[in-house]
Amino acid sequence: MSLCVLEEETFRHCCRLILQQSEQLRDGWSWESVQGSQEGYLRKTALRSAVINSSPVGDQVESSSESGPQTSCQSWPDLQQHKKEQSVLVASAGADSIQGDIDDEDDDADEGVCTVSEGSSQVLQYEYHILYSCSYSTPVLYFRAFTLEGRSLSLQEVWSSVHSNFSFRLQNSPLNTITQQEHPLLGQPFFMLHPCRTEEFMRPVLQVAQDHNRPVNYVLTWLSVVGPMVGLDVPLMYTTSHY
Amino acid sequence: MASDTTGAASFAADLKLQFAPFSSALEAGFWHQLTQKKLDDYRLDESPKCIKGYYYNGDPVGLPTRLTLEFSAFDVDGPTPARCCPAVGTLYNTNTLDAFKTTDKKALLEKEAKEIWDAIQSGAALKDPSILCRFILLTFADLKKYHFYYWFCFPALCFPEGIKIVQQPSVLEQVFSAKQIAALQEAYDGLCMKRGTSAVPYFLMKYTDKAVQMAPLGDWDTFFTDTKKVTVGVYDPCTLSQHPGWPLRNLLVLLANRWGSKLDTVEVLCFRDRTLQGSRSIQHSVILQVRLPELSNDSACPKSVGWEKNPKGAMGPRMVNLSECMDPKRLAESSVDLNLKLMRWRLVPSLDLDKVVNTKCLLLGAGTLGCNVARTLMGWGVRHITFVDNAKISYSNPVRQPLYEFEDCLGGGKSKAMAAVDRLTKIFPGVNSEGYNMSIPMPGHPVNFSQATLSQAQRDVEQLEKLISEHDVVFLLMDTRESRWLPTVIAASKRKLVVNAALGFDTFVVMRHGLKKPPVGQNSSVGAADSSPSCSSASSSSSTPAGSAPSLPGSSLFSNIPGHKLGCYFCNDVVAPGDSTRDRTLDQQCTVSRPGLAMIAGALAVEMMVSILQHSEGGYAVASSSDDRMNEPPTSLGLVPHQIRGFLSRFDNVLPASLAFDKCTACSPIVLDHYEREGFSFLSKVFNSSHSFLEDLTGLTLLHQETQAAELSKLYNPEKSIQNYSYGLKTALSSPGN
Repeated sequence: MSLCVLEEETFRHCCRLILQQSEQLRDGWSWESVQGSQEGYLRKTALRSAVINSSPVGDQVESSSESGPQTSCQSWPDLQQHKKEQSVLVASAGADSIQGDIDDEDDDADEGVCTVSEGSSQVLQYEYHILYSCSYSTPVLYFRAFTLEGRSLSLQEVWSSVHSNFSFRLQNSPLNTITQQEHPLLGQPFFMLHPCRTEEFMRPVLQVAQDHNRPVNYVLTWLSVVGPMVGLDVPLMYTTSHY
Repeated sequence: MASDTTGAASFAADLKLQFAPFSSALEAGFWHQLTQKKLDDYRLDESPKCIKGYYYNGDPVGLPTRLTLEFSAFDVDGPTPARCCPAVGTLYNTNTLDAFKTTDKKALLEKEAKEIWDAIQSGAALKDPSILCRFILLTFADLKKYHFYYWFCFPALCFPEGIKIVQQPSVLEQVFSAKQIAALQEAYDGLCMKRGTSAVPYFLMKYTDKAVQMAPLGDWDTFFTDTKKVTVGVYDPCTLSQHPGWPLRNLLVLLANRWGSKLDTVEVLCFRDRTLQGSRSIQHSVILQVRLPELSNDSACPKSVGWEKNPKGAMGPRMVNLSECMDPKRLAESSVDLNLKLMRWRLVPSLDLDKVVNTKCLLLGAGTLGCNVARTLMGWGVRHITFVDNAKISYSNPVRQPLYEFEDCLGGGKSKAMAAVDRLTKIFPGVNSEGYNMSIPMPGHPVNFSQATLSQAQRDVEQLEKLISEHDVVFLLMDTRESRWLPTVIAASKRKLVVNAALGFDTFVVMRHGLKKPPVGQNSSVGAADSSPSCSSASSSSSTPAGSAPSLPGSSLFSNIPGHKLGCYFCNDVVAPGDSTRDRTLDQQCTVSRPGLAMIAGALAVEMMVSILQHSEGGYAVASSSDDRMNEPPTSLGLVPHQIRGFLSRFDNVLPASLAFDKCTACSPIVLDHYEREGFSFLSKVFNSSHSFLEDLTGLTLLHQETQAAELSKLYNPEKSIQNYSYGLKTALSSPGN
């Protein structure tokens, strides 16, 4: 039993190790502390271009950031067209009625700007937080995804942006389920991977590590299992470099 | 390039340098924080506020060049994310949409541009080049609708003739050797270290084949001893190979102003620094050779641009609707639904929640049972809940009826139906609830005292008929037996699912009424289909279903009864409902039951409904009995019984099932036929007559006479419902273990 219990102190220690490695690997994790308390969380943001689809779950994601070869500075041709229309839907009609009192000629006269197709709707910002759960004595992954306008995605939209391999598994896996919860430290709505079965899949890993007398970073190992399910990459280098 | 051989002047015109503009990127936390600031801090204060964003030069190819504002934007002195450059901006948050619209955007831009120009001229920008990369954010927060209007501006000063480059931009690795690139990286890291930051927005650079030196912008005069070749570095957030990002624009104005007269061209390193999977690279940085125009201090402030286009590509503001993630009511709704889905993902994958959530429930009675049923329905996410009750809340109610409070009893007491709706809406604003303060006419309770009482009864019947038509499931939760008669008849006629709960002192029954087959195609005799339950015993019309057992083999009489053959609440009775409160003492009139009983029975009533809804045949599902407890359950949630009879004294429930009775005073073909043909005139006869009217009609009178003849020796009180007797009978039949 005690094998799987993660003390809060150990959690912080694991986080410190991850931070050190993240610094070396430039992986973008930071520690956010809550003012006037010892509490805090690991935070990382990531950007990904994806097609948001509000239709029922299981629909596909377009691409991850690495695969987008659109470097042309000419306005991207028709293949962007349908996305543009989608982005118009995302942006509300409300603001369109407002006249910009900026003379368009001013803008047209600016030859110094290159025309880039507005891609705001297909770029999603992801925010990941790793918190400690006292009730489960495990780390918990909180996350949310939003457009460049700052509009949080519904869970359905999140599903559609998660790779179908994972979304299928996630939705059918008894180990992990996404639910909506208020962030315990920020008070804002987040999605979270429910921790109630975390111990179950951690136990074998920890047991093997203990049997072979190998050190193991609970939080990192856990993250490498749950992270990819919600689009959070954990570079292999974390495990190949020393603890 | 072919143009290399032609005169520089001829192709330079074609090589105008163009910059990738910033796209604004707002994190969800920014809007939450702005809302907090507006509510707690700014209130009606419209004065400009200092905020902070940042940009990053390590994006993978394909992402737009962004200026990001997160929740920490309001903490200007707070840390900037590692390896990002801060950008300071001015927030103009207006109080009204009108003010947002009429704000003079051009003036705001020009004011900002003037400040940049002044800082360039005074030399302040050399010392603190961050002024070259500023922004304006104009917002209006509609906190009623959670709509946020916003418009970003990234002020850039323009050269009248544009900026020309001497040749196509080159990628660093084409110009620099691997050694030089390594040295460059080292020099940049050294510069960061020296300045105590993790990113430097602008810097000066000198290099040889082997070494690279860097210095801050302000060190120009000491760093460059001659001006033959000058290289300037800019932290470049753009990922396009042919274009630099916005931060270079104002830097070039500064360079032209300070050194334009001395320098013909300047080399610009657009420094890009990304790490993928732990491996860092800067070789995709871009080198530009810029022909530097002259821009002396005598010049007027150059023209400026910078308001961001909206997603349609036009000059205009943007609006984002955040009601889904900020409106507490919307949050409550999505949380309730997600919580229920958790059950599906985790435990019952095939659970059809939509069926449950979308079921319209009519609760007849808003007392102990009604309150508990409503709460359990809410737990299941049911959105449509209607109450019917004619009582007011009395002082004894709140302790047993969880939708009411002491305050509700004051001043004569609020109407239960209305108070229940109010409380439901308080508990969960997403609920769609209505209350009807009305009486349900009952057999043996005459309505013909006056024309007024008669027409009131008629209106009540019509209202009840309408309500039953509009709902999917009718819950019978009243405290008297006879008030259940009219809704039983109407619901049977309209083929609506009825779930009935009734309490004794420490016993209860929760049951679904048999759901008659649809009358379609049987118009000649509506009752034909309905009489089928008793087809096996039709010939022996004088016997009760229990008495007809011999025609079926063994104990199968009460097993595998399909939903359309199941009985209703009145099928077990051999007396018609009448005024049960007459000639009774007070304790007999009140429902006196153990306090936990209503919660148990109310919860079971809802759970029974949910199980029925999960069955593919719904109300027509074959009734499960206690014997089925060991068998494969018919639904993902388990059994679908006809009745649950509970005995609190033994903490035991049994699941009897019984057939519809062809002489039932409520659901028998003859009653439904009269109701459907004569309507209110038939009903008023039932209300105004004694119970003998229904007993005569259904043939119960005849049955009584036969029974009395057969059981002359037995003491038997015909006034008493044989319900208690039948409890025992069914219990004995259904649970042989007892």
